[in-house]
Amino acid sequence: MKALVHLFMGLAALVIALPILVVCASALNGGRSMVFPPQDPTLMRFVEFFVSEPVWRGALLNSILIAFGSATLAVLIAWPLAYGVWKSGSGASKIVAGLGAMPFALPPIVFGVGLGFMWGFAGGLGDIWSGVVSHAVLFLALPLVTVSIGLQSIDRAHLDAAATMGATEAVALRTIILPQMVPYTLSGFFFALVLSFNEFIVMFFVSASGYATVTLQIFNSLRNGFTPTMAVAAITFIAVSVAVFTLIARFGDLPRLMGADQSKT
Amino acid sequence: MSSIEAPAPAGRALRVPAAAPRANMSRIALWAIVLGLCVMPFVLVIVISFGQKIEGAAWVFGFTPEHYLRFFVGASWPETTTTLYLNRLYYSIYYAVIASVIAVATAFPFTYFMTRMSRAAQSRWLVFLLATLSLSEVFIVMGWDILLSNRSGLPMLLRESGVTGWLKETGWFDVLREWGMANPRDVKFKTSVFATILTMSYLVWPYAVILLYPALSRLDQSTVEAARTMGASPWAVVRTVVLPTVRLPLIGTVFLLFVFLLGTYVSVTVFAEPAKQTLAISVYESVRGSTLNAPFGAAQSVILLITAGLCLWLGQVLVNRQGARG
Repeated sequence: MKALVHLFMGLAALVIALPILVVCASALNGGRSMVFPPQDPTLMRFVEFFVSEPVWRGALLNSILIAFGSATLAVLIAWPLAYGVWKSGSGASKIVAGLGAMPFALPPIVFGVGLGFMWGFAGGLGDIWSGVVSHAVLFLALPLVTVSIGLQSIDRAHLDAAATMGATEAVALRTIILPQMVPYTLSGFFFALVLSFNEFIVMFFVSASGYATVTLQIFNSLRNGFTPTMAVAAITFIAVSVAVFTLIARFGDLPRLMGADQSKT
Repeated sequence: MSSIEAPAPAGRALRVPAAAPRANMSRIALWAIVLGLCVMPFVLVIVISFGQKIEGAAWVFGFTPEHYLRFFVGASWPETTTTLYLNRLYYSIYYAVIASVIAVATAFPFTYFMTRMSRAAQSRWLVFLLATLSLSEVFIVMGWDILLSNRSGLPMLLRESGVTGWLKETGWFDVLREWGMANPRDVKFKTSVFATILTMSYLVWPYAVILLYPALSRLDQSTVEAARTMGASPWAVVRTVVLPTVRLPLIGTVFLLFVFLLGTYVSVTVFAEPAKQTLAISVYESVRGSTLNAPFGAAQSVILLITAGLCLWLGQVLVNRQGARG
């Protein structure tokens, strides 16, 4: 029985890892075409992606800009929303938080189409800043959830004690709540960051070919066939994701963020 | 809705009256941000779906049902009726249902075993899963594209290992051809329904694990042990103890994955044959692509939105009813 379980887990891991491994290995191809196993292995593709090809360098820069900008903005909007629900627990605060999480819960292509219309009217279609705002709204739900989970773990007795001793709400927020919330806020930030980095369809509609992120650039080159340089992009993205989630697991409580049982630690 | 009378479990003691106007201001600002950015795009899609298309490229606001009519019965109704777009919707739902059911069915045992591991091992698995989960659809499609390509992927492996020859001898090859998974000489996966559904269920598989994880990790292990001590086989335990307790999360997960997959774009463009493409593709074609008819694209988006909304609502109803019964 135990062996069967191990076999099943191993098989699942293999199937999950297989396409990723194949993409990574393809980056070593010397020629222009993407074959596996790689022929004439070389690391030139890495140089192309990071240094010598302005198209890819520009796209990477846009991706980084949008990811950091939108994740920051998402955290800044999500904090008061989560705080409002936790603090007052009123119906209105729950509705506004629910509406804030809505774009993430519905098919992204519909949200992308809507954002395309909206930026068309408001101006900003095809500008980087509208891309930043769009992703911030799309991934608002992530910091909203992590911050809410964090707020639930705060011991209300501490707040009562602070109030008895004359602390105002602002002081209690600064001295009791915020310090405890750092890991949850950062987790939310990084979840939004990584997903923004990898997001495709909303950016597709919002960028209106005004600029390209790495995922857009890859899709644009799709009709000419995949090239090994794209695989370098994939490796970079996987490396970033693994690094970020390892950090979250190291400094935050990943099983708890994912909703695991608390009693078993 | 004034801030004073709202019940404030945590903050009542802390609230200082002088801070109330400022709190109100920030509350209004929050509502403005959420309504303006999260709700507005959906409202625009709905409004524009009734807009009037002007010959050329543009459109104006209006109130015409023509785009919905075109969706359900075709543009030249009532002379002729075409169900092209209903067919697209059918494939959207078809792919999404099968892929999400497969993902949940295989993710369930995986998650169950994972939650029995040590906390550290769980953390490692979660990092691995989250990394693949966040990986862009374009990369995943790229990986499967190489794996399924005729030149260097599975078809080559099958050919070199002699499986293709064996299939031809035993007659299974003709069956595969009927399923659209072989050309006259070789097994092929591009383009096929198989490749589309495989990629789509791969896409949501980590999500399935993450969504099932809370329920399974909270599962009371003592009931499982009790059933085992009383002589129930592992399979009987899963069927009579584990499955009934996690039935709601299982159903909920299938619904969520379904909604997520409804709008899949890249996998379908690459792996589905033109006749079997989905609504997401024609939304793109109308809004950004060759046909340029924004109101019609918006109308198709609304149909997708309604399908997604219906599904989320249905899931909620099921969960509520079963929750009340159980």
